[in-house]
Amino acid sequence: MSVLSRIRTWWRAIIYGTRIGNEVEAELQFHIDTYADDLARRGVPPEEAARQARVEFGRVGVQKEKYREAIGLRLFDEIGGDIRYGLRSLYKHPSVSVVAVLSLALGIGATTAMFSLIYSALLHPFPYAGADRIVNPRVIDEKHPQIPTWFALTPAQFDSFRKAKSIDSILGFFLEGLQTTGGDLPEDVSAAYVTSNAYSFFGIPAMLGRDIQPSDVPDSGQPTNVVVLSYRFWKEHYGDDRTIFGRTLQLNHENYTIVGVMPSRFTFTETVGNADVYIPWTPTRTPGLFPWIKLKPGVSLAAANAEFQSFLNQFRQETPKHFPTSFRVSAQPIIEPYVHRAGRTLALLFASVVLLLLIGCANCSVLLLARGEARHHELAIRSAIGASRFRMVRQLLVESLAISFAGAAMGVGASFWLAKLPLQLMPNAFPQEAAITINFPILAFSIGLALIAGLLSGLSPALRLSRPNVSQIIQSTARATGGSTSKRTTNLLVGGQIALTFVLLGLAGAAIAGFMKVASIQLGYDPHNVMVVSIPLKRDTKKNQVGRATYIDQLRERVSSVPGVISVAVASRGIPPGQPPFGIGTLGPFEILGRQSQQQPQAEVSLVSQKYFATLKIPLLRGRVWNQTENQRGDFVAVVNQALAQRYWPNGDAIGHQIRIASLKDDGAPLSAASPQSGGWRQIIGVVADSRNDGLERPVVPAIYVPYTTFMWDGTAFFIRTAGAPLTFVHAIRVALHSVNLDQRISWTADLEEVLQHQPIWTQQRLFSILFSFFAGLALALSLVGIASTVSFAAARRTNELGIRMALGAQRSHIVWIVIRTTLATVTSGIIVGVVLNLALEKVLRHWTPGSVFAPWMVAGVALLLLICAAIACLLPAKRAANIDPMQTLRCE
Amino acid sequence: MLLFHLGDRMAKRVDLLQGTLDLLILKAISLGPLHGYGILLRIQQISGDRLEIQQGSFYPAIYRLEHQGWIEGEWGESENNRKAKFYRLTATGRRQLKTETDRWAKMTDVVGDILTATPEEI
Repeated sequence: MSVLSRIRTWWRAIIYGTRIGNEVEAELQFHIDTYADDLARRGVPPEEAARQARVEFGRVGVQKEKYREAIGLRLFDEIGGDIRYGLRSLYKHPSVSVVAVLSLALGIGATTAMFSLIYSALLHPFPYAGADRIVNPRVIDEKHPQIPTWFALTPAQFDSFRKAKSIDSILGFFLEGLQTTGGDLPEDVSAAYVTSNAYSFFGIPAMLGRDIQPSDVPDSGQPTNVVVLSYRFWKEHYGDDRTIFGRTLQLNHENYTIVGVMPSRFTFTETVGNADVYIPWTPTRTPGLFPWIKLKPGVSLAAANAEFQSFLNQFRQETPKHFPTSFRVSAQPIIEPYVHRAGRTLALLFASVVLLLLIGCANCSVLLLARGEARHHELAIRSAIGASRFRMVRQLLVESLAISFAGAAMGVGASFWLAKLPLQLMPNAFPQEAAITINFPILAFSIGLALIAGLLSGLSPALRLSRPNVSQIIQSTARATGGSTSKRTTNLLVGGQIALTFVLLGLAGAAIAGFMKVASIQLGYDPHNVMVVSIPLKRDTKKNQVGRATYIDQLRERVSSVPGVISVAVASRGIPPGQPPFGIGTLGPFEILGRQSQQQPQAEVSLVSQKYFATLKIPLLRGRVWNQTENQRGDFVAVVNQALAQRYWPNGDAIGHQIRIASLKDDGAPLSAASPQSGGWRQIIGVVADSRNDGLERPVVPAIYVPYTTFMWDGTAFFIRTAGAPLTFVHAIRVALHSVNLDQRISWTADLEEVLQHQPIWTQQRLFSILFSFFAGLALALSLVGIASTVSFAAARRTNELGIRMALGAQRSHIVWIVIRTTLATVTSGIIVGVVLNLALEKVLRHWTPGSVFAPWMVAGVALLLLICAAIACLLPAKRAANIDPMQTLRCE
Repeated sequence: MLLFHLGDRMAKRVDLLQGTLDLLILKAISLGPLHGYGILLRIQQISGDRLEIQQGSFYPAIYRLEHQGWIEGEWGESENNRKAKFYRLTATGRRQLKTETDRWAKMTDVVGDILTATPEEI
């Protein structure tokens, strides 16, 4: 109760200040008048009575202050006064204030942007309920520990897995490529079959219509054919039509009733593979289910892994083919892949914006100190009439806080835009579902930041200026010459700014050099006008190797007759330059005939057609490539790359030797088909030049190329070189494929040049180059402003002295030199500190930005750039100082 | 005249102990709603003019009590037909008055016992 009444009185006193003041006055006036009446009644003459009553109470106006003090508003009123005074004094020096506010706005804005990016991309990216407890089910094959895989369960296993103690709830799903039918051209649709608890698992209501519900799959009776659309699919196929419910979508000749549309943020995450439509799962649709697990609160990953292990060991006995021979479970929180991909990038960006913020704070301090010099007189008077040091420090801090909050307000606005930049520049490193919004934690962060920045930038000037030497300052009418401690502080700040700017410039330079290296790298193949078309093949259980090979060749033949198509190659796996998201796979072992070594040789195995090398323009160095007949047969031949030839036959006699790749042997898996001798000995018939096959930044690994007919899965890919922009040919190619088989579709296409630009190292270096250059540019600008203002304030303080010097015959150049020499010395020492810092940090940064290039010439270049810019920033205000008329200055005295 | 007046006061009146003014105001109001001047008069009247209330601290004490929610002010008309602010006790104020009174009684008991102690008792 009493808390409420306090808030009420405060509220009234603050909001209705004048009215409450009047009421207080009226109350007191009544008191005085009544008292006077009483006195008069007791015989005191009326005038004397009124006087006496007033004397006893003092002035009525004072009572208002007493009222506010009594209810504890004194501090509030005083600080309010400080703020008003602070704003007035900012208003009186607009140029200084604007620069100070901007300095902090840049730092606070950039830091807030990075924080909101980290917050939205790594801390709270997913819209699902309990997203931090959802884990990807992964098993690690002890034989290939570097590639964890997911596992599928049979419906019975799924039901028993559901009962695991660590599981809160579990979603089963299976992705399948379907086609729209009943329309003109079939279109590919990626469908997710999800168990009917999808709604309760995700906790995301449909945007339109309804979610999939348990009633869609009744325990008994026929399940209903319903479909929920993803936002993107709805937009692309139905525009903004909100009346689509009840309409029919035909997929693979089956009718589905549309019941809902999911919101745009729900994309079923690309960790799994985005789906266009969601369909309730039934055992008739797919025989298996991938689990997505939400752990119970408080269950540790280790405990969950241990429990799942015992379940999976049991499952392996039932269905041995679904699991590796020896494996361990390693459930992974769904955010982890992204932390792995983007965590370091974000940490580094955050560190660099903190540097920017520090530079901004230093700049603000320099300006406040410089302006403080001009305010010495005022502060001395305040001190002389009894202001305590505490009050003066408070007053000065309130001023710097006013600056920092103004800066924060501007910065937060800008941060919204800046935070989105990395998402656009590095699209596949962040969760798709992350949405940058300005929300409470981010606002709280920026307010905290503004407080810190205000205190940081205001503290040293406040402490310094709140101790004026009263007698000296008030006695002398001349401008104070300024304490040496103040100069020292300013120099320290400017030097620090320069050192930090140096670090940022060095970082930007290294990032740009790294990007140039990545962008100009020798690929070893020509990606221009080449695209990859991924071709799914119908599952045929007959495992007819010859039939499948012939069918692929038929498709290839038809595609190569499309006008504008120059050359078509088949490649069953591997898209250069390798590495995720289009990784080729990893090194596997092979044997060399007649050679026994401790270490088994390792190579990357690519399954391609003979046209592969011509299509990608990979030159043949020695020997020959297999011909069409050999290609159909698949066995006995192999081509190797230069890296392999040189490693195992350094004398250049690789051709003619025999190698064997055991992993190409028919593994009996239901979807694969192999040639009779796929795992047998093959002769090396040719050596081709190296092309990047392990990512852009890593050296080329040894590679063996064998005919694709050796080992085939339920899908392959065509590499197609075209006469123009490749993706414009997709339609014609689609039509060509249909002419062979009406049901033949394309699962996806990619331009090789675009693939290159989606390489993590490429996007990361580009992001670093752009953002670091941006931050370094801002830092440079801030430091130069700091330098220029230091010089011009110093010159203004010494106007008299300079005037006298000029009157006595000093040259202009000499005057300029006097004015700038201290600052130049500061800048030079700042650069030296920067070089040292840069060298000290280099090792750490190398580790954090493996793609950046650190070189001594870069350090030298940055130092030179900084020195030149700083010299210009010194000279401009110094020249103005030297242009003054000496007589004028002396007369001013 | 003035000198005499002062001397007279000093002889007859005692200053209030720190913190007791609040208690007296609460007590005065507990007997019925009063305006500020009325409260002052009532306290003086009950005390038989033996108490000196600092004018400067009287109203701040009232503001504080109102701020704490123990009393509530409302504008009304006074006996001389003028607008005046009348204060009355709130429920919390009544509870507060009781606690404070008990505390005061205990305190005076203890202090009184100590002060009236004789050597034999110790």
